[in-house]
Amino acid sequence: MRSPLSLIPHPDSFTSRLRGPEIASRVGLWLGISFLLAFVTGLISHAAQDMPGWLTFPTRPVSFYRITQGVHVISGTAAVPLLLVKLWSVFPKLFDRFTFGDVRRLALQLAERLSIALLVSAAIFQLVTGLANSAQWYPWSFSFRSTHYAVAWIAIGALIVHIAVKLPGIRRALSGPLDDDLARTSEQGPSRRGFLRTTWVATGVAVLTTAGATVPWLRQVSIFGVRSGDGPAGIPINVSAVAARVIPAATNPAYALEVRNGGKQVTLTRADLEAMEQTTAELPIACVEGWSASGEWRGVRVRDLLALVDAAEDADVEVTSLQMQGAFRQTTLPANFAQDPLTLLALELNGEGLSLDHGHPCRLIAPNRPGVLQTKWVKRMEVLA
Amino acid sequence: MGEADGGSGVKVLRGLLFMLGLAGLAWGGKQLLGLGFDNLTITGVWLAAGVLAHDAVLAPLVLVMALIAVRVVPVWLRGPLAAGLVVLGSVTLLAVPVLGRFGARADNPTLLDRDYVGGWLVLAAITLAGVAVASLISWHRHRSVLR
Repeated sequence: MRSPLSLIPHPDSFTSRLRGPEIASRVGLWLGISFLLAFVTGLISHAAQDMPGWLTFPTRPVSFYRITQGVHVISGTAAVPLLLVKLWSVFPKLFDRFTFGDVRRLALQLAERLSIALLVSAAIFQLVTGLANSAQWYPWSFSFRSTHYAVAWIAIGALIVHIAVKLPGIRRALSGPLDDDLARTSEQGPSRRGFLRTTWVATGVAVLTTAGATVPWLRQVSIFGVRSGDGPAGIPINVSAVAARVIPAATNPAYALEVRNGGKQVTLTRADLEAMEQTTAELPIACVEGWSASGEWRGVRVRDLLALVDAAEDADVEVTSLQMQGAFRQTTLPANFAQDPLTLLALELNGEGLSLDHGHPCRLIAPNRPGVLQTKWVKRMEVLA
Repeated sequence: MGEADGGSGVKVLRGLLFMLGLAGLAWGGKQLLGLGFDNLTITGVWLAAGVLAHDAVLAPLVLVMALIAVRVVPVWLRGPLAAGLVVLGSVTLLAVPVLGRFGARADNPTLLDRDYVGGWLVLAAITLAGVAVASLISWHRHRSVLR
């Protein structure tokens, strides 16, 4: 009678020639690159939203954040087929037997298993939560942004440990031949070369079918893009006026913008704002969820408004929305953004009056700034001491 | 590790990478702990669920499909069929959030505003056409080898 343990497959039970270091190292290389890209652009996005005191996020290039956040989501999306193939190629290793006789070897094996478990779980976690977030789907109760950030460090840390452990094997596999052509005949089914090519095709299809949400010329082929790019005045919206529950306040005829600097305060109606010098700027709205679109915004320069209350040029500004709740109801506009000639309190978008969903009566639009910080339905700007 | 592994330079590099990776892990762990116990528990459940979904569901499923394919699918069709399934399968998996439109909101028509199922059918049709063409080529090659 066979013991139940014998039902567990052994690494040798897997007979496909396609599994193994030849595929794992080549796919792993690109998977590593995509994770590194996602990690670095993720750090940039984190800094753009939560500027540490020692750093000043630049206002140029205007589309820098649009590009880095686009790369973030695109590289994460590309990593899905790569990760699936990578895991498939090394799956037999899951059934490697432990050597219980040798304590030192057993400890090493357990440590490596733990690091792989961390790596695989963190990698899957990052891709699943990132993709769901890009489609604004939150089937969990942990805080997305801070958890995605914390697990990113675990994923990249475990990845670097994994590379350190496997480096000799990786070098050997990458410099060795892909297919052992001599042993191959057409009787054996698909070749490693063909399988690798399939993986690149799957990765390419993953990118092309989604990237249109941020790359305008891909819009037609991006059948799985989270946004078609349409919306009021030709620009999509992230949070609607209904969702923010601002319609009564935003349509109130008594609306007036408050600009404050200590005891000094001016109040400006929409007509007052329209009577000031208007500036037009072509600026992207680039969302943390990865979609972006460029628009022609027209309105009053924020620095002109701040000059009305004699704000210092090195003072940060707190921008408050009419919306009553939400994490981004109030944001801090750093001094370099507040004084930038392209930072506007916009009244128009693409030649139309700002729609309610885009932030009527007026909204903040600054160069190189994440969409969540481009405060809509602005109620008050207060110069911080 | 001998010369084949690249000598002492590689050893130093590996050591540095190892420490760097551990530092990343430690920093991530610290961040995660800082988010509170409830957050940590749910994150742990999701981390474990992801591995289980792959190792205990998806991987065995693919394995069973491959075992069946080896028995019933002729050799010349295996490569093209596997390629088609890898492309369509992986892209379908990553499109689950948009295909299900789970995040759609009645108040925001600009979000998830495509015909995703229609798009999927087009992709499936293109993949199928690609598999058909590749199979034809593979079948021809197979016949000429046998002859």
